[in-house]
Amino acid sequence: MQVFIAQVINGLSLGSIYVLLATGFNLLLIVAMIIHFAYPQVVVFSMYIAWVVLRYTNDNVVLAVLAAIGSSILLNLVSAPLFQKIMKNREEVDINTTMVLSLGIGMIITDILSHGFNKGLPIAFPEALAGTRPLLRVGLISILSGQVSSLLVGVVAVSGIFLLLYKTRAGRAFRAIAEDPAGARLVGIPIVRTGLESYALSGILGGLIAVLLAMLLGYTSPGLGELVAHKVLAVSIIAGLGNLVGGLVVGLALGILEALVQGYISGSWSNAIAFVVMLVVMLFRPRGLFGIKL
Amino acid sequence: MAPSETLLSLEKVSVAYGHINALREVDLEVRRGEIVVLIGANGAGKTTLLETSLGINTPLAGVIRFKDKPIGGVPADRNVRSGICLVPEGRGVFASMSVLDNLLLGAHHNMHNVQKNLRRVYEWFPRLAERKHQIARTLSGGERQMLAIGRALMSAPELIMVDEPSLGLAPIVVNDIFEILVHLNQEGYTILLSEQNAYKSLKCAHRGYVLETGRVSLSGTAEELLNDPGVRAAYIGA
Amino acid sequence: MSLALYYFLAITAIYILMSWGLYLPYRVAHLHFLTVANMLISGYLAGFLVQNLGFSFWIALILGFAAGGILGYLISLFIGDAPTFTVVIVGFTFIYVSRTVVENLKAVGGTMGMFGLPTVAGTPSTHRTVLLILLYVLVVVVGFLIYRFEHSRLGRAASAVFVDKDLATSLGVDIKRMGRLVQTFSSLIAGGCGVLYGFIYRSYHLDFFTFHLVGIFMTVIFVGGYATMWGTVIAAPALYGLTLILPTEVASWRIVIYGAILIAVLVLKPEGFITRRLAYRVENALTRKRKRHITDPKGD
Repeated sequence: MQVFIAQVINGLSLGSIYVLLATGFNLLLIVAMIIHFAYPQVVVFSMYIAWVVLRYTNDNVVLAVLAAIGSSILLNLVSAPLFQKIMKNREEVDINTTMVLSLGIGMIITDILSHGFNKGLPIAFPEALAGTRPLLRVGLISILSGQVSSLLVGVVAVSGIFLLLYKTRAGRAFRAIAEDPAGARLVGIPIVRTGLESYALSGILGGLIAVLLAMLLGYTSPGLGELVAHKVLAVSIIAGLGNLVGGLVVGLALGILEALVQGYISGSWSNAIAFVVMLVVMLFRPRGLFGIKL
Repeated sequence: MAPSETLLSLEKVSVAYGHINALREVDLEVRRGEIVVLIGANGAGKTTLLETSLGINTPLAGVIRFKDKPIGGVPADRNVRSGICLVPEGRGVFASMSVLDNLLLGAHHNMHNVQKNLRRVYEWFPRLAERKHQIARTLSGGERQMLAIGRALMSAPELIMVDEPSLGLAPIVVNDIFEILVHLNQEGYTILLSEQNAYKSLKCAHRGYVLETGRVSLSGTAEELLNDPGVRAAYIGA
Repeated sequence: MSLALYYFLAITAIYILMSWGLYLPYRVAHLHFLTVANMLISGYLAGFLVQNLGFSFWIALILGFAAGGILGYLISLFIGDAPTFTVVIVGFTFIYVSRTVVENLKAVGGTMGMFGLPTVAGTPSTHRTVLLILLYVLVVVVGFLIYRFEHSRLGRAASAVFVDKDLATSLGVDIKRMGRLVQTFSSLIAGGCGVLYGFIYRSYHLDFFTFHLVGIFMTVIFVGGYATMWGTVIAAPALYGLTLILPTEVASWRIVIYGAILIAVLVLKPEGFITRRLAYRVENALTRKRKRHITDPKGD
C-alpha cells in the first residue's frame, strides 16, 4: 500500500509533466500549425541553462527558473521564422516539412548538449532545486521534497494552462484557430500573430517543464531529450493529435502507469510501456483514443 | 429613414486569385443606414467582394474606402476593430465551442463593453441566452445563423456584411432571419448582404447590385431591381 | 589501399544504400526510419550467428537481408498506408525498443557489443577488398532497381501518391500495396546494410545504430534532393567526406553541422540540390545523345 501511494504521487508529478509537454506540443500543432519534434529537446536545453545559472549564481533558484523560461521562449521564437518560411500555407499543418525541420533542430540541440556540457555525461541538480530531502515518511517509503514540490507546481501549472485555454480571450483565440483557421480569420483573429503567441506560450510552458523535470528527476542528460520527446509524442498519438483534453487524460494516466511499473516491476521497462501502448493504439486506432483535432 | 454618408465604397476594385479574376472593376457603395443587397449566382464573386471588403484579400486594383479612409490591404482584424464585420456563409460559428464562447470571440477586439453587448445580443436572441453554455454544434440551422449574427453584433460594428443568410435554412426560418436584419437596420446598423435568392432580400433592402462573373451588371433601388425583367427571369423564384 | 580510403569508400556505400532506403519510401511521403532498426536487428543477428554459432558470413548476410525484409513486410501490413507521422513514430519506437532489447541481451554483448568478428575472406586486406566489391555491387544493383522503378508505371504512381494521396487513390493507385512494396524493399536493403556495417569494422556496437543515423540519412536525402535518386549519390560522399576533411576538432561536431546544413537547405533550397527538373534535364541530354525514344513525357 505504501509503495502504491508513493508511486501514485510520483505518477501524478510525472503525469503532469507529460500533460504540460503534450499541451505545449499540441498548442504548436493546432495554433502555429507545426509539428515540433524537438520541443522536448528545447525543454532539456533549458534544464541545462538552469543548471549553468545555478552553478554561477550560487544556487539562485529564482534566477534559474527565469533563465529556463527565458531560454525556452528564446529558442522557440528563433525557430519560429524558420518554420514560417517552410510552411506552404498558414491554415493547415504541413506535417512532412515541419517534422523534418524540427528533427533537424533536435539533432543540433542534442549534439550541442552532448559536446558542450560535461562531455555529454548526465548532470545533477543541486539540492536547492532537486529537493532530495525526505519530507514525509509513510511507513518505509519517504516522499522527497522534490516530488512534492513538482507535484504542487505541476498541478498548478496544468490547471493554469487549461484555465488559460478555456476561460481567457487568448485561449479562445487559440481554440478558434485550432478548430477553423479560415473561420477565425473571418472573425478578425490575426492568424500569424496568434501563431507567434503560441510559440511564446509553449516557450513559457517549456521553461516550467524544465524546472519541474529538474525537481522531479534531479538530473538531466542529452539523451533525456530524445526519450522524453518520444514519450510526449506517444501521449499525443494515443490521445489523438491536437486533442488537448485527451492529452490531459492520457498524460496523467501514462505518468501513473509508468510510476506503478517502476515501483512494482523495474525501471527500464517503464519506458517501454509508453511505446507498447502507443504502438498498439497506432496500429489499431490510428486516430487516437479521443480523436484527432487538427 | 434617409440614407446619408457613404460608409463603404468600392471604386473600380479588381481582385484576382492567381490567374482567376474574381472581381473586375467593381463600383459599389453602401450608405449609412441602408440595407444593400448583392445578387448573383454561385461563383459570381459575392463572397470575394465581401471578404475583400473585410480585408481577407488585397485588391489588385481600385480603392476600397470605409468611412472615407482607404482600407485596401489593411488586415481583417484591424478592419473589424474599425467597425466592419462579416457573417460568413456556412462558417459563421465554431461548432466545438459553446454559444457563449462564440459570442465572446466576436468581442475579441471589443472587450470593454462585453457585458453590455452580451446583454443586448441576449435581448435580440433570447434563444441564445437559453442555450448559452451549449456547444454550437447542437444548435439548429436557424439558431446557428442567429449565433453568427449575434457574434457579429458583439464587435459593435457599424457595417454588418452577411454572406448568404438564407443558405440551407427552411423558408420560415429565412423569414425570421430577414426580419431580424430589418430590425437591426432600424436600430441603426448598416447592412450589406449577398443572396442567391433575390426576392426576399430585395423586399427588405433599399438598393441592390447584380454581380455576374465578377462585374456589376446592374444596380439600382430595390424597387427597380424587383421590377427588372432580366432580374426577375434570372434570380427571382430561384 | 590505405585504411582511410577503405573506410571512406565502405561507409559511403553504406550511406548511399541506407539513404536510398529512406529515399524510396519518401517517394510516397513516408519517412521510413524503421530501416535503422532493421540495420540494428539484422546486424546483431548476423554477428550472433557468425560469432556464436559459427555460421558463414554469406549465410548470415542472406539471413540479414531476409530478416530486414520480413520485419519490414510485417510492419508494412499495418503502416503501408498510414500517415507520415505514424510511420515516423513506429520507426522511432522500433529503434528504441530494439536498442533496449540489445542492451539487455547478454548473448549479443549487451552494452559492450561484439568484437573481433572473423574476416569475410582470408587476410584482413582480402576481407576489405571483398567487402568493398560486395558493397559496390550492391550499390549498382540497388541503384539499377530503383532506376527501373522510377521510370516505370510504379514510379509515376508513387509520384502521384506523394503529391496527393486521395487523388492517387481515385486514379486507381493501390496505396497500401505501394507502401508495402517500398517499405519492404527498403527494410530488406537496410537489413543487409546492418550486417555489412558491422563487418566493415568487424564489430557491432550500440553506438553504431543510434538516432544520429536517422539524422544523417535524412540530411543526405534532403540535401541531395528527395525527388530523385541521384541526389543521394552525390550528397552521401559529399557529406561524409566533409567530416573527413575538416579538422578533428570541428569534425566531432558533425551532427550539428549536418543539422545546420539540413535546416539551411529546407529553408533556402527546399527540393535539395539535385532537383527533379535538373535530373530530368541531365537524363534527357544523355539519352538524346543515344537517340533513344523518350516514352515518358514530363509528368509530375
